[in-house]
Amino acid sequence: MAVIYRVNMSDLTVRAEEPGDGHSELGGRALTSALVAGEVPPGCHPLAAENKLVIAPGILTGTAAPCSGRLSVGAKSPLTGTIKESNSGGTAAQALANLGIQAIVLEGRPADGRLFRLVVTSDGVQIEPADDLKGLGNYDTVARQFERFGQKVSCISIGQAGEFRAAAASVAVTDIEGRPTRHCGRGGMGAVMGSKGVKVIVVDASGGRRPAATDPQAFKTAVKKFADALMKHPLTSQTLPKYGTNALANVINEAGAYPTRNFSAGQFERTEAISGEKQHDVIAERGGVIAHACHRGCTIRCSRIYVDEKGQYVTKGPEYETIWAHGADCGIDDLDAIARMDRLDDDLGLDTIETGATLAVAMEAGIIPFGDAEGAIRLLEEVGKGTALGRLVASGAAVLGKAYGVARIPTVKGQAMPAYDPRAAQGIGVTYATSTMGADHTAGYAIAQNILSVGGTVDPLKPEGQVELSRALQIATAAIDASGLCLFVAFAVLDDQNAMDGICEMLAAHYGRAYTADDFTQLGKATLIAERRFNSAAGFAPADDRLPDFFKKEKLSPHNVTFSVPDEELDKVFDFA
Amino acid sequence: MPRVTVHLYASLRSYAGGAPSVEVEIRPGQTVEETLHALGIPSDQTRILFVNNRAAATNQPLQDGDRIGAFPAIGGG
Repeated sequence: MAVIYRVNMSDLTVRAEEPGDGHSELGGRALTSALVAGEVPPGCHPLAAENKLVIAPGILTGTAAPCSGRLSVGAKSPLTGTIKESNSGGTAAQALANLGIQAIVLEGRPADGRLFRLVVTSDGVQIEPADDLKGLGNYDTVARQFERFGQKVSCISIGQAGEFRAAAASVAVTDIEGRPTRHCGRGGMGAVMGSKGVKVIVVDASGGRRPAATDPQAFKTAVKKFADALMKHPLTSQTLPKYGTNALANVINEAGAYPTRNFSAGQFERTEAISGEKQHDVIAERGGVIAHACHRGCTIRCSRIYVDEKGQYVTKGPEYETIWAHGADCGIDDLDAIARMDRLDDDLGLDTIETGATLAVAMEAGIIPFGDAEGAIRLLEEVGKGTALGRLVASGAAVLGKAYGVARIPTVKGQAMPAYDPRAAQGIGVTYATSTMGADHTAGYAIAQNILSVGGTVDPLKPEGQVELSRALQIATAAIDASGLCLFVAFAVLDDQNAMDGICEMLAAHYGRAYTADDFTQLGKATLIAERRFNSAAGFAPADDRLPDFFKKEKLSPHNVTFSVPDEELDKVFDFA
Repeated sequence: MPRVTVHLYASLRSYAGGAPSVEVEIRPGQTVEETLHALGIPSDQTRILFVNNRAAATNQPLQDGDRIGAFPAIGGG
């Protein structure tokens, strides 16, 4: 039987319990959202004791299912005020699953501002004082844990931004090499962890074992079907391993949907210099690593290890969204500078999307000029120092923009938009506007059909068909986020029935009962319904499901388009609820 | 003769010796697919096609000065 650990940071006690209220079959986002929606007062302040930080591996995490190592972290978000689930790769989710842990729930809040470490083993969860870690970045924080607990543990940690309870603070997860490079980035989950006084969670899975399927033979057969589908699809077997996520840069730029200089243009004239192709060549020439897996059992291997001119490690990836946010969105064309900023973000514990978008707004505000890479790095360094300006940067694009009187702030529900302009990819605009999470591309990745010709095609420049597309994707995504599978398996799922069948057959064998695509859809719908109810009770209304007005008024080059999906259509996205 | 620029990305660059783009002459009315075939690029290697930054079909006829963007399967995010 799986266990849920309740860690009360007010009185420093730990309670183990069995999952209740129909939660026994849930994992990942379905579980974090069910627990947050069921237990957190929607009107509470996100940094108050009443908020809870729920950390949960996915349903299939820890099993032999390929690409199933995602870790979900959920709470009420200090960035958006909505419910939030942010998920990450890395090794911690598998470690928790191998210990039979369905979730760790951080509750309460220490009164005295002290810092603690949680040590999770097969014996349970121990709370230890960790004031010696105060002010450390993620890299130093995890290095000290590996010194003490050995190299095989996994770490879930926050940097300085999380300690400051900054709204853009991430939760870091260590990768196979023990580096804090994988992040639950979005929505300030690091600030909630910081408010609980938890600096790091060390997970030692020794003594644990892989979760067993109810029907092991059927599970093995289903795993093979699913793995074969991933190996057959050219995206998951060729492009993503070779070029990484940043292969997107050129195609999104070609489509005129690559937000440039704070969403003032749809193409960046220096995209080639920061493209996936260029990144591949630089890493290969310098002896970095192409096709790197962020957790064991990942067959896609979209990550990479970026090194400097001397071949010394700088950071992972960086990923497409990060390179765009600190690159085109800031008018910066220097991959090495972007890699340094990615390292800084990871160390400080900042969401790279929110942070890059905030730097772009800072440039719009005139704090530094567009294209000023060294100036951007200096602004990030302010975060680590805890200066007033640094705290503004770590508070996200909406707050910094308001503080400096900027009118063009590309956020929804306070969360910065990722690397696709919704005017030239209207389907993703529907997702940005209506997602339960604020502007989030992963919530319903309409770029697949709008631009990438995956799972069909829908004209990106027209409003027709976008609401139906976003709705279907948001439902499917909520289910995938529950499964523990990496969202990138969706590229195969959208094109190959065997991939979807493989997922259902894995879940059927896991549970030991029939499991159909309809069940998967119902899981997604139930998760979205719980999230929408929470948001509604927290005060969110249809008027919040909108893009900033400038997207309807300012035409985007090169297509000279505005966002044209009518408000009344946006209000139909959740008409199943 | 009309001329077009073909921008190749990711694995397709191997068909142009690694160059990001090539300028080629076309006959009037030549299609996107015919132009890519002339460069030795098999149809099954291209997944995403643009002409002048708009999604294009393989049988779209080209005009002088057009910009083609050709990609294999691409994704991420």
